[in-house]
Amino acid sequence: MLVASYLFYGWWDWRFLGLIVFSSLVDYLVANGLAKQQQVNKRKLLLALSLVCNLGLLGFFKYYNFFIESWVAAWGSLGVSMSVSTLSIILPVGISFYTFQTLSYTIDVYRRQLEPTRDLVQFSTYVAFFPQLVAGPIERAKQLLPQFKNQRIFNSDFALSGFYLIIWGLFKKVVIADNCAFFVNQIFDGGGSYTSIELFLGAVLFGFQIYGDFSGYSDIAIGVARLFGFSLMTNFSFPYFSRDIAEFWRRWHISLSTWFRDYVYIPLGGSRGSNWQGIRNVFIVFLVSGFWHGANWTFIIWGGIHAVLFLPLLLFKSNRKYVETTRMSMRQAPRLLVTFVLVTFAWIFFRADTASMAYQYILDICSFNGSSMLTFYKNSKMLLFSTIICLGILILLLFEFLAVQKNKKEVELTPLTAIFIAILICFMGVFKNPSDFIYFQF
Amino acid sequence: MVFIALSCLIAFGSLRVLRQGNFYKPSFLEHGVEATAFDYIVLGSSTGLTTLNTQVIDSVLGTHGLNLSMDDTALSSQYLMLQHFINTGKKTKSCVLAASIPDYNVVHPTLSGNDYRFLPYVSRDYVQDYYSSFSGRPARILSYSNWFPMLGVGYYNAELFYPSLISLLEPQKRNRFDAFGNYSYPVTSKYSKPIEARRQLKMNFQNPYIKRIQDLCAAHNIQLIVYLPPHEQIAAQPIEMPFYIINHSTILQDTRYFYDAQHVNALGRQEVSLRFALEVSGLVGF
Repeated sequence: MLVASYLFYGWWDWRFLGLIVFSSLVDYLVANGLAKQQQVNKRKLLLALSLVCNLGLLGFFKYYNFFIESWVAAWGSLGVSMSVSTLSIILPVGISFYTFQTLSYTIDVYRRQLEPTRDLVQFSTYVAFFPQLVAGPIERAKQLLPQFKNQRIFNSDFALSGFYLIIWGLFKKVVIADNCAFFVNQIFDGGGSYTSIELFLGAVLFGFQIYGDFSGYSDIAIGVARLFGFSLMTNFSFPYFSRDIAEFWRRWHISLSTWFRDYVYIPLGGSRGSNWQGIRNVFIVFLVSGFWHGANWTFIIWGGIHAVLFLPLLLFKSNRKYVETTRMSMRQAPRLLVTFVLVTFAWIFFRADTASMAYQYILDICSFNGSSMLTFYKNSKMLLFSTIICLGILILLLFEFLAVQKNKKEVELTPLTAIFIAILICFMGVFKNPSDFIYFQF
Repeated sequence: MVFIALSCLIAFGSLRVLRQGNFYKPSFLEHGVEATAFDYIVLGSSTGLTTLNTQVIDSVLGTHGLNLSMDDTALSSQYLMLQHFINTGKKTKSCVLAASIPDYNVVHPTLSGNDYRFLPYVSRDYVQDYYSSFSGRPARILSYSNWFPMLGVGYYNAELFYPSLISLLEPQKRNRFDAFGNYSYPVTSKYSKPIEARRQLKMNFQNPYIKRIQDLCAAHNIQLIVYLPPHEQIAAQPIEMPFYIINHSTILQDTRYFYDAQHVNALGRQEVSLRFALEVSGLVGF
């Protein structure tokens, strides 16, 4: 499994195999050092070594140019011009994911919540496990590492559920996400002039594109892992059926949000201290979470928007209102819609190239200029894509709604529905010019 | 297995519907054209489709022509179309090859963007051989579609599956060409300006499909006429070849005749078609 995982990763660029091997080695040694070391200061030093090495690599490959350009721009705004050159750095695929995954291991060992493994091969496989290496879910060692130790016996039902999940994930990716991309790219990058409603729909479609893309990948990753007998955590739990922002963040990119909760928010004190401390901690977590997504101010602003939306719920202690209940009632539909609209507006910052473009985009929506939606049906090709997208989204929401009402954690296909979805993939999917997975860039 | 069977069935049905309809030129030739004998056919890409108006030519010369050009295709596709034409049992005295000017010099042809339009006939040898002669994923998908039609119909679902639904509802519907196979670009509000200079391009006719088209024409007693359409920026300079060449690359001297650099608009089409008719008058088939 380790060889296969390294082959899989190295196929993209063998030079970056060294990075993942280095990360694995550092944390393997640090964790075993932590197990032997009882002195608090030395334990802190070992943990710091792991943090510095992993976050240092992440920081260099992902954020070096951003910091340089922001530094220069900041001084430039004060009238001081600087000449600093940026580097042509290739971002290693999956570095944001496997870095956090391996960090969670050393932190858990430091906290004595986990015994370190002495098996370097097993640990390296945990770090590089190919189904979830490039875009998550970000697995915890407590959950995944034991699975490499235990003997796995092929379970046909488990494997079949994985196969069905792959089909569902493919549907979300090639039918929903890639068809939505057709309009989203036009509206966001095309430079044309659009009415307010077209711009709003563009943002809505991006919301479905990123959901289909990312959750589709997660489903495929989880499904593939099941074929090998491994169980990965659920990463998305029908986020567009959320009734408030707090619920949204319990349903969206669960592996990342729980990582930040357990390793940033709670250590900072969570909401246990004063209101100001709670506000500070929320902002830190959401801003850092935004920053994790990419080296651009738009992602930080996106995180900040979610912090602002989340804060009232925290301050009024209503952020855990829907923890127990997942079933929807009709009277909750307005909440659902409001949450969806708020999330959609935040996505504008996530998708736009610059903050000013995002601001302008929102201003143009709010200017309410024109109600025409001609972009979506001005010729037969547009009309075709619009029809496919509408149909695809309807089917997606129907299946997810049924799963939510049955309190399921994922859409569970039957043989008949799997065949139906597979046929939809075949005849509605984008195969000629597919889009790359959005989260591969993170 | 159920999925493969069902998807094959749907794809098979889709291709059958396309075969029976008139949506694309290959099936239009079989079902939308009653005549079996022509004085000439026009084989080309979008330049052939939008430059030579067979109605105008026929009205001047009293001939009976058919335009079998398809946009976003190359000389290789025109060769395939000629094979398809011959396979239908129809006859023509002349073949006017009206490919885009640069295509005549292409040494290593590749699969064209719209070659999927022959997929409804993938079970025929000449189509299967055509697809198999190219490398790359689209060519392989089209080639394997002979046994697994859902591969090609799925890959080109927007271009094949959905048009088949249109064809099912409207069998006579044609995809942007009239009953004679012609199409024209509109006259947009483009400025009128004399074309001062054009880039000289020597035409070596190195494309291997020219020889194949030539040989196929010779085998079926068809006179080959190679037509170099008007171009806003290129002045073609053909070398001597063993077939008749009509060079109209610089025939239009004003930008108002052009839709874009390599396509004429309706105005340009009218002008060029008349001149073509006068020039070919007296040749076999005309």
